[in-house]
Amino acid sequence: MIRHECLELLAARMTDQLVVTSQSGQRIEWAHLSKHEGNLLVGMMGCAIGVATGLALALPHRKVIALDSDGSVLLSLFNLATLGNLRPKNLLVYVFDNGVYSGSRISYPTATAGRTDLAAMARGAGIESARTISDLDTFKAEGLGALERNELGFFICKVEESLLHREIPRPNTDLAENKYTFVRYLERTEGKTIPFIGRG
Amino acid sequence: MTDELPRRLVNHLKAAGVNFVTYLPETRLSQIVPLIGDDPAFDLIAAASEQEAVAIAAGATLGGKQAAVYMENSGLYVSSYSLLALGKQLGVPLLLIVGYLGGVPDQRNSFLYATIGSHTIPLLQSLGIEYMLLEDGARLEGKIKDAVRAANAQRAPFALLFAGEFSV
Repeated sequence: MIRHECLELLAARMTDQLVVTSQSGQRIEWAHLSKHEGNLLVGMMGCAIGVATGLALALPHRKVIALDSDGSVLLSLFNLATLGNLRPKNLLVYVFDNGVYSGSRISYPTATAGRTDLAAMARGAGIESARTISDLDTFKAEGLGALERNELGFFICKVEESLLHREIPRPNTDLAENKYTFVRYLERTEGKTIPFIGRG
Repeated sequence: MTDELPRRLVNHLKAAGVNFVTYLPETRLSQIVPLIGDDPAFDLIAAASEQEAVAIAAGATLGGKQAAVYMENSGLYVSSYSLLALGKQLGVPLLLIVGYLGGVPDQRNSFLYATIGSHTIPLLQSLGIEYMLLEDGARLEGKIKDAVRAANAQRAPFALLFAGEFSV
């Protein structure tokens, strides 16, 4: 399977979930597939799971989804231990593991192309339910099925490298613009004021 | 710290509206951790890295919390990437509660900390993060409120560097 197929299926299931993406091809693909105001397109690697965790803790009644990559998780392995202990029930993490640093333009292999198993590492860190998904049927059944469950989900989705994101128009939404759209959406749907916005 | 300062510090954080704290403990201010943990006004979240502590606090801020990150100043180096990308580039206010080891006013300064300390303020300056140095408990409540207000107004991290009496 390729990442875009998974994201397409996921996008069709979105209602009021909050989605945080890390910086990689999936940021471009997700921005193209979903124009939802609850998308936060974080412009860096290694932070999506942390930001999504903070959102999930601040809004425990709201489903929060992190879209991440193998290279990004390898940059922030400390997230596994923290999630293994916090276990926020409203957080779903999908790691699209293509085994390469696609953004490098030389498709240099990541550690997961070798002996490293991120799902096993996550289980060892305390996320017992972490598992690897390698085909689209399992992604539909278990990956998307987790949207209906109230427990921490952590899925390593093994995907073939796809360069589709290079053919898709990149999002032209500025980071600050995306942040304010996201925060205003939260204010509207949560019925509260986000403190730092304040009044001019 | 004397027995009185940690309690005052935590009470003033609460008075300033802080209600979510991520942290890695260190030596100078660590007495605040159990006080925050025992106070239902705060969510207290242990992180495994300061980079992650900043990211979790940033997410909580976007979700409506008034978040702070408590760390040693060595954590500023560890978290500089997320402070820059989330704090400055995305524009997320965060109060940084920093044990300022190795600076001139650190009462326990030694060769172990001096290098870390001497580069701390230049690091903050290079990141464009404003800061305030606190060496005693004078006007502590007002200074914490000033820092939170400045972080929110600037949509950026603001660092409180604790040394002097806080490092005894």
